[in-house]
Amino acid sequence: MIGVAKRPSKLAFTLGRFAGFLKLLFRNGKSLAGLTIIAIFCVLAVVPQWFTPFNNLGQDITERGFPLAGGSTAPVWLRYIPAWLGGKPTLSENMYVFQNPGYPKLRRDDGELNFTIDGSGIVINESDANYPYVQPRGFLKFAEPGSLNVTFSREEGILYNESRVIIFKEFDFPYLGVPSRFYGNIELLVKGTVDVKGELDAPVKVTVFLGPVGGRMWRLWPPPNNPIEDSRVPRGFTRDLVTGQPGPIVKPEYGALVWDNASYTWVDRGWITSVSTDISVIDSESNSVVNAKTDFGRPPNRPVPMVFTSVPGKYIYGVEMIFSDRKNSSKPVSTSVFIDDFGLILFGTSFGFMGTDHHGQDLFAQLIYGTRISIYLGVMVAVLSVTIGLAIGLTAGYMGRVVDELLMRFTDILLMLPGLPLLVVLVAVLGATIDNLIILLGLLGWMGFARMVRSQVLSIKERPFVEAAKAVGAGRFHIIVSHVVPSVMPLIYISLAMAVPGAVTAEAALSWLGFYDPFRMSWGRMLNAFFEANATTNWWWVVPPGACIAALAAAFVLLGYALDEVLNPKLRQRR
Amino acid sequence: MHVGLRSYILKRLVYSFVLVILIIMLNFAIFKMMPGDPIQFLTRPFQGKISPEEIQAQQDLLRQIWGFGDPFHIQLVKYLRNLLTWNFGISIVGKTPIAELMARRIPYTLLLLGSATALSIVFGVLLGVAVIQRRGTIWDSGAVTSSLVLGSLPTFWLGLVFLVVFFGFLQWFPNAGAFPRIWALGWPQALSSTSKSSPNTLSIAFSFDIGQAWTLVGGYLHHLFLPLLTLTIFSFGSWLLLTRATMLDTIAEDYIVTARAKGLTERSVLYRHALKNASLPLITSAALSFGFILSGAIITETVFTYPGLGGWIWESIQTLDYQVLMAVFYVISICVVVANIVADILYGIIDPRIKYG
Repeated sequence: MIGVAKRPSKLAFTLGRFAGFLKLLFRNGKSLAGLTIIAIFCVLAVVPQWFTPFNNLGQDITERGFPLAGGSTAPVWLRYIPAWLGGKPTLSENMYVFQNPGYPKLRRDDGELNFTIDGSGIVINESDANYPYVQPRGFLKFAEPGSLNVTFSREEGILYNESRVIIFKEFDFPYLGVPSRFYGNIELLVKGTVDVKGELDAPVKVTVFLGPVGGRMWRLWPPPNNPIEDSRVPRGFTRDLVTGQPGPIVKPEYGALVWDNASYTWVDRGWITSVSTDISVIDSESNSVVNAKTDFGRPPNRPVPMVFTSVPGKYIYGVEMIFSDRKNSSKPVSTSVFIDDFGLILFGTSFGFMGTDHHGQDLFAQLIYGTRISIYLGVMVAVLSVTIGLAIGLTAGYMGRVVDELLMRFTDILLMLPGLPLLVVLVAVLGATIDNLIILLGLLGWMGFARMVRSQVLSIKERPFVEAAKAVGAGRFHIIVSHVVPSVMPLIYISLAMAVPGAVTAEAALSWLGFYDPFRMSWGRMLNAFFEANATTNWWWVVPPGACIAALAAAFVLLGYALDEVLNPKLRQRR
Repeated sequence: MHVGLRSYILKRLVYSFVLVILIIMLNFAIFKMMPGDPIQFLTRPFQGKISPEEIQAQQDLLRQIWGFGDPFHIQLVKYLRNLLTWNFGISIVGKTPIAELMARRIPYTLLLLGSATALSIVFGVLLGVAVIQRRGTIWDSGAVTSSLVLGSLPTFWLGLVFLVVFFGFLQWFPNAGAFPRIWALGWPQALSSTSKSSPNTLSIAFSFDIGQAWTLVGGYLHHLFLPLLTLTIFSFGSWLLLTRATMLDTIAEDYIVTARAKGLTERSVLYRHALKNASLPLITSAALSFGFILSGAIITETVFTYPGLGGWIWESIQTLDYQVLMAVFYVISICVVVANIVADILYGIIDPRIKYG
């Protein structure tokens, strides 16, 4: 009966005390500042997807590994700041030249492509032909059935010799600086009548080109017989025609020229002489498709042709087809070329709020997702180390004698070991998973707290109320839990707050040294990438992660100080 | 009294010896913790780089040095003997005895960390006293807050920012090394000697070129500046806070009131009376922090590619040279233990009130 009556009042008392504590905490400026910062970081950690469309490594979620922009690009907003303020008006942005590369259409059919025809026998149609092979990277978002059909046909008895058709798009390049890379794509399928050898009666020569209007066009496809020797092939790395300055930094690892799935055996310098038999079996592996997926990287150490200039202007990206009709006039002849996924992406030298790293991954997304690991690790390490410290401090303080001596000497030894070198050695040997880091940091971080708890317990042990509890017959465990622990509660709160900053910076330091979980992004890892990429002037890459680490650490330090002031009345009076 | 001190020191020495043994045990445990066979683990970085015969030779050497394959107790004794005699084996990468490589790197770490520690103590203590003089003002709270913030900044980040500003943009300071790279071709000869021997005399001429000497000093300082700045900024704050805290306690004492009543200037009260009495914890923690000299610079030395012990740790991680890692860790730990003894003894000598217990 008494117990039932007592319980609500005790609960109310506890709640009232807690409310009073919260009131004091919120009246304190330091804790308010600290809590606000922590709350912001918590939101970022819990719902990062609200703030960025990309994944934790800063990649497009649907196209992992495909760069979002050029390597080591600047933030977009730097474009709009005048140069004398440190801005860079010559930056360019990403540009998707084609609105709908998945279904190329002529302007005549409400599309975006122009065409010129030189010769006879050519008809251009829309086609419903659906190409079931995998969409090329970078064009997934434009996936759509449908293609453009260019057909050359004639009756028997005449020869047209040569008919030429160019399908192109003219576009404005509005930026004052060159793009960092370009990424073009075209997929071709050829059908037609064949002779006894199985070769097309009217073979077709296909050339994909890019260049300024009125200037020199650069051939992008077919690939040169020797990609290194043929200097006519531009490599995506662009150079400014006016200033002669090289384009933005592109790391050599992007230098490889990728000619995916292009089949050289039957394509002789662009002449397509054989034919596919059935559209439905076409895939990117089969010989019947010319999948000139071109990712023009930069070959290191050689001069590169120039495509873009720093003067805004009109450019052309197009495909030229020359049908050769010289073989056989005694039968009707036709050759059809289906064009699909005809597009061009110009990667700018600026991207997003914070630019990109050297792999073209969004730094802002990395920063947002990095919050998660820091907060999670910081809190887990704090809980773990405070738990261990509490257990050891209580045991040593209350048991006394040999136990105390042994535990305290052990504590001294651990305190004396140099922390970071030991951590480095252990992580190097055990592996740098997040769980390992939490356990190691927790196991190496409890000593100071254990000492504080022990000295507190030593003084409480001698108080009259403990003696009274003993006299009543309370057991050791009961005394520790209900008399000693409440009196070290303030210490626990303060230490929980104070243990986080050390853990956060230690994690950052280890990640920076290269001990990071490859599947998780952390602030330290961002700085590691910065150091590796040697991008010494990209301050937008190095400043935010460090500022975040410092802000999070400082927030917990402020909270700890505030708790100290609120929970220790002596300090409260002094202020 | 003297007997007390002597037995106190003896006690600390015995305790420290036990500590050293424990540290060696810990090292041994880490060795044992390596996944799989330690021999395989240690020679893994060579797979595909050197011929199988050479790998076999390396493995035999490791087996001979560390006694893998022997019974446990013999292994442990061999291990103890090796570490106590500074026989750490041969660096896999440098193909040189580790102790020799270490001797080449220690001076740089001592130079960098020694000067950084000294500078941050001087700045921290002076600023701490200056802050005490203005306690309660905006200077006071500003100094405390900024020391807290600077102390919680990650050192490597501070270093990277300095690199961006002073190397990337301004190009005032170099980003790597301890001396100009061009010196590898020919060192500035500050002190040179020529000797001539004739049948019955030997004449030796020394010459000292002050210009060359300045080049030498300037080259080192130029490369030292950024890491030194980073370390000093990072660590002077804790000295400021410590000085402020101890001084706050001291200036509440009666003898300070007396000194003021005598009419001494505030300056002499603070520096001659208060600071002297507050210096006890400062001196002991200075001794301790000099002990941590060898350990403190992994991050900073890596950022600035400084050829000290810390940078070596990082390089060894990159090349998986675990023997080097453990040797460096061992040496660092020993240093800390020695510093602890020194601090304890200093404490005992300086403060006569201490009970030697």
